[in-house]
Amino acid sequence: MISISPKALSTGTEHLDKSPLDLTNLSPEQIALNINNLSLQYGKKQALNDISMAIPKGQVTAFIGPSGCGKSTLLRCINRMNDLVDDCHISGEINLHGNNIYGKHVDVAELRRKVGMVFQRPNPFPKTIYENVVYGLRIMGENNRRRLDDAAEKSLRSAALWNEVKDRLHESALGLSGGQQQRLVIARAIAIQPEVLLLDEPTSALDPISTLTIEELINDLKKQFTVVIVTHNMQQAARVSDQTAFMYMGDLIEYSDTNTLFTTPMKKKTEDYITGRYG
Amino acid sequence: MNKWFRSGSPWIWLSAGGVSISLISVLGLLWLIASRGLSYFWPSQLYQFDLMDEQGAKSVVIGEIYDREQIPVSQLAHLDLTLDPEQEVLERLLIKTGNRELVSLDFRWLLSHNITNTQTPDDLVVVERRTNGNFYGYIDSVVVDGEKVANNQLDELLTRVEHFQEKIDVLQKSDIGAINYQLERLRLKTRKYQLDNKLTAVAQAEIDSEIAILNQKYAKLEQELLGYREEISRDHIVMRAMDGQLVTINFEYILKVSFNNTLGLMDKTAMFFSQVGAFLVDDPREANTEGGVFPAIFGTVLMVLLMTVIVSPFGVIAAIYLHEYAGNNAFTKLLRIAVINLAGVPSIVYGVFGLGFFVYMVGGSLDQLFYAENLPSPTFGTPGVLWSALTLAILTLPVVIVSTEEGLSRIPSAMRHGSLALGATKAETLWRIILPIASPAIMTGIILAIARAAGEVAPLMLVGVVKMAPNLPLDGNFPFLHLDRKFMHLGFHIYDVGFQSPNVEAARPLVYATALLLVTIIVALNMTAVSIRNKLRERYKMLEH
Repeated sequence: MISISPKALSTGTEHLDKSPLDLTNLSPEQIALNINNLSLQYGKKQALNDISMAIPKGQVTAFIGPSGCGKSTLLRCINRMNDLVDDCHISGEINLHGNNIYGKHVDVAELRRKVGMVFQRPNPFPKTIYENVVYGLRIMGENNRRRLDDAAEKSLRSAALWNEVKDRLHESALGLSGGQQQRLVIARAIAIQPEVLLLDEPTSALDPISTLTIEELINDLKKQFTVVIVTHNMQQAARVSDQTAFMYMGDLIEYSDTNTLFTTPMKKKTEDYITGRYG
Repeated sequence: MNKWFRSGSPWIWLSAGGVSISLISVLGLLWLIASRGLSYFWPSQLYQFDLMDEQGAKSVVIGEIYDREQIPVSQLAHLDLTLDPEQEVLERLLIKTGNRELVSLDFRWLLSHNITNTQTPDDLVVVERRTNGNFYGYIDSVVVDGEKVANNQLDELLTRVEHFQEKIDVLQKSDIGAINYQLERLRLKTRKYQLDNKLTAVAQAEIDSEIAILNQKYAKLEQELLGYREEISRDHIVMRAMDGQLVTINFEYILKVSFNNTLGLMDKTAMFFSQVGAFLVDDPREANTEGGVFPAIFGTVLMVLLMTVIVSPFGVIAAIYLHEYAGNNAFTKLLRIAVINLAGVPSIVYGVFGLGFFVYMVGGSLDQLFYAENLPSPTFGTPGVLWSALTLAILTLPVVIVSTEEGLSRIPSAMRHGSLALGATKAETLWRIILPIASPAIMTGIILAIARAAGEVAPLMLVGVVKMAPNLPLDGNFPFLHLDRKFMHLGFHIYDVGFQSPNVEAARPLVYATALLLVTIIVALNMTAVSIRNKLRERYKMLEH
């Protein structure tokens, strides 16, 4: 990791003209997700320790931290992807609209429709571009051709992919480049109109130009969705996010608006990390 | 030397050698059965041999040269031959002489030493017959309705008879067959009424009237049949055999008369293909040693298709359960080992299981429940094509399960997660994403299953294959597909013709031809499945990351 001085990171101007949110004291309308005392164990290994945080609506929240700090695990808790892991025990709660998503009668499929997710590597299905985008809608039982077409176009436009693929919607999605595939996967995720969009290191497998496109896209997406992004790239967190949470060894060390975190970190560990002492 | 070993070249040579040996053996096998099998259809030259034995007695032998061999003179010492002392080996010819009504054996060995003259006269003919095999000789005369006519009318007369034969075949197989089938159904209906104590006078009268109508139809058809029979038995030819005896052959029994020695290459090729065609579409004759193998082809393909239809869903469902739903614990591991070991059980054991479980238990119970009127003669409680397909389905189940599971485990978890993250349930993900991507692997399993099942004979002998099935399992009588019927199978046909027939020597080329056909059919079935798999692969090809 290259060491970056806090000053170099604060060049993004869009953060300066907004007054930062008071993350400890948000009104219920401002909150998209509320995480309370969340702990997670893989077998005997403690992966998350008593994490509590509120993720504000309509903003981009970034999780940063060194490898293995639990940032991806925390992200995957939000749409219960950790359910797929054997031997995974979770305590505490995550509230979406005041309902605990780990409650007894929660329909996980329903939850995942509200909380979409994009993975580290692009994972388009081996179907056509069109079928990839409307997959979620088809699952929901939508078969009206016109509505599917509209939704596909809208999502692809939102994902800044429409112009590149509009002439080959019915060709295989596997013929797209990596960056296009990742935007296709984002289009697929937003086609079902989730409330929250989880991005798990969405650019780590992409080249710098594709990364830039995706970052611009994230900025647009927050107008419609609450975005939570995991990244190991601090510049990226600084560029795209409004809030940043720094995690270390399963603990949430510091969580504040991005400017504050990168310019005047409160904790020694955060400062060490963003100045590149470890990570 | 040491350096050579370290360079790795010996291993390249060794593996290349291994590949070559396998390739050569496969090609050699194909070449052997293809050449032996196909030569059976090529019209062979007809010879007339003038012989003189050691005592000076002369005789004539007519026939085809079937085989040649060199034998050392020392083995023939007991014959007291007068030979050139320098000569160490003698040639011996195996001649197919046919004419079973004159001599008991079709074949005869001749020492080339005894042959004084060999000719291939143009007017020598071979007559292929429905019974008694081939007849070799000269046409003495053609007799139409008791009067001799010119020999060149033969073709015309043969066409006429062929035409009537076709009519007879249709009449016997479909029309009279249908009436017999309906009569049998009526008998069963009566029996069922009796068993249920519902046989009223009205019902009985109704059935009787139907029977009367059918019998009337039958009588009419029988008249027609007799008429045709009379037509075809009107004419005959008189043949002169090698020893000068005259033999009368009625047209009724003649399939083909051919002057092989006058045929040019084109004619021979045409005849070759027509013989191959006849082999494929005709029914067997004379205890399977002559004629075609159509019922066996049909039975093999039908049984394999049925087996595929049964084994694919079960295998895929079992693999999905094992891979997707069953927990990853000791019991699942045990189950998996059991499945793999199932593939190693000798096939005859499956045959015994099929006979005991399917035929006697399941079939017997079905008969008691649904076909009570036919008892004591069994309907499903006897070997049949359904039980054969089921037995082979169990035999090939492990193959499908193992390769489907392998296909499922090769799918990257990103695919599953991608679908689940879009709000799909596990079942939806399986159905819409996983199964389509795994379909090439499933097809591989099915291909292996077909390859294994099509070549399997031993278990079938217990659960449904017969030497000669009177009816195909598929015909024009409702319900069209008769799964309870016994069937013929190419593999068993080879065994039967090659080892159980009264005339093994005569049947040997047929064995090769049938083997070639069996291989061709298996290859064709496999190729179909492979091309389907390749299409699927192309469609669901994963992008290499």
